[in-house]
Amino acid sequence: MTILQLTLNGLALGAAYALVALGFVLVLNAAGAVNFAHGDLVMAGGMLAVALAPHITSFWPAPGLALLPLVLVLMAALGLAVSWLAYLPLRGRPHVSVFISTIAVGIILQNGANALFGGEPRAAPPLLWGGTVALGPLVVSVQSLAILAVAALLIGAQQWVFARTQIGRRLRATAQDPEMARACGIPVTAMILATFALGTAYAGAAGLLLANQFFVTPTAGGDLILKAYIAVTIGGWGSVPGAVVGALLIALFEVGVSAVLSYPVALGALYATLLVILVARPQGLFGEAARRRA
Amino acid sequence: MSGLLRLDGLTAGYGGATALDGVSLTLVPGEAVALLGANGAGKTTLMKAILGLVPAAGRVAFDGTDLAGVPTERRVRLGLGYVPEGRRVFPGMSVRDNLEVASFAAAARRRDRMERVFALFPQLRVKAADTAWRLSGGQQQMLAIGRALMGEPRLLLLDEPSLGLSPKLAAEVFAAVRAIADSGTAVLVAEQSTARALAVAHRVALLRLGTLLHDGPAEALPPDALRAAFLGVPGGVPGGDPLADARPGG
Repeated sequence: MTILQLTLNGLALGAAYALVALGFVLVLNAAGAVNFAHGDLVMAGGMLAVALAPHITSFWPAPGLALLPLVLVLMAALGLAVSWLAYLPLRGRPHVSVFISTIAVGIILQNGANALFGGEPRAAPPLLWGGTVALGPLVVSVQSLAILAVAALLIGAQQWVFARTQIGRRLRATAQDPEMARACGIPVTAMILATFALGTAYAGAAGLLLANQFFVTPTAGGDLILKAYIAVTIGGWGSVPGAVVGALLIALFEVGVSAVLSYPVALGALYATLLVILVARPQGLFGEAARRRA
Repeated sequence: MSGLLRLDGLTAGYGGATALDGVSLTLVPGEAVALLGANGAGKTTLMKAILGLVPAAGRVAFDGTDLAGVPTERRVRLGLGYVPEGRRVFPGMSVRDNLEVASFAAAARRRDRMERVFALFPQLRVKAADTAWRLSGGQQQMLAIGRALMGEPRLLLLDEPSLGLSPKLAAEVFAAVRAIADSGTAVLVAEQSTARALAVAHRVALLRLGTLLHDGPAEALPPDALRAAFLGVPGGVPGGDPLADARPGG
């Protein structure tokens, strides 16, 4: 029973991590460069939810859920701004230029959040309401179930759009071979901007989901970008389904080992496992697909 | 005759090296032109310059529109289709998605266009749900051509379509290229296999080190022109003429 309970908790945390990793890998594939500000964009989503919550809470019974579309839209706009300022002017230069510019964006976001909100942890409102529900012998927090549902909906929507629509096909083609996509008539720059917007919107959603149970601080992004990086490494560099599965595995590992030992031990063991995977299977669990940018 | 594609003094290069040097060429609607030349002659650069994939000086006009400053994606929407050397299909996408992504028509017209591609390349219909990287080299070449056709081009640029294919597959691919040319789509085909290109083309453009050596009907090709373009020598070579079968009537 305990294992079931831990699995459910791990899946809820993993669902939020999966949104972080999904946004990270989409931008990685489209831009061909790591967005080191991604963790800080998750933090920004959480802070945005904290800032907007007082304006919603008074007249809406489920303030977190009401905040979600608002956070998605505003974070998508922030993603466009980031790509406009920190990516497009540097496109075509060595990748290290984009690394540095996104690190700079991350530091700006951290210090901006610190200046606006202070350094103390803050909590966003729950998606629906606080408390727990009994599922047979299991006691589950409503927020965990809501996180699972929202993350599944957002990931499912992304998968559907990418698989079934023309814009999704164009986004995938751009990620796989931008020059050839351009030679097929696809407006590649617009597709990259759209990917930044989508990836950042999902980062914001993850920030909102995580900021209720785990709180948000201006420096929280550092840990989250590492989690996204590990998820993508475990799943297979560039693999979209690999990133999602990698994020779920990380969360299950964290929750499982924390329950038996402690959180610091879980983190240490996570990085040790990462080292083993890098040595034994450097292409990641979905490496074959990743090599071909599935 | 009005030109569908007009190149005037097209010059392009990489770094300090000149890959194309003042090439002028005209294609009329429905015409098939073979672009011949050895490796490094500038065939690929010429095609990329037409598409705007490499910076170039000189003038490129398509159907009367000056393409200066027109981005690649807009050039494609105007009616240019491109089949690159090495196929470059989108490897992680299905055959069907590779085709659909290159069409900008409404859904019904897109389906109709795909049916035409499947009629030209029946193997692609069978493999429609397969991921592109699982296809053989020949099937990937068919997919690359089909993908370019989905954009309903008026001029198809084909870069080395038989590269790396067995003679049987290369013949199949060139039969399709001939069918495309016969259907009225203008074709500019760069090809190492001179004989195959000449079997499709109405005209020959011969490049050597970025310069146009000859532009005219294949029958009017000077006897030593191919040798000069491919080997850099005007006279014979020991052991006979390796290009004899490539020359029209050869």
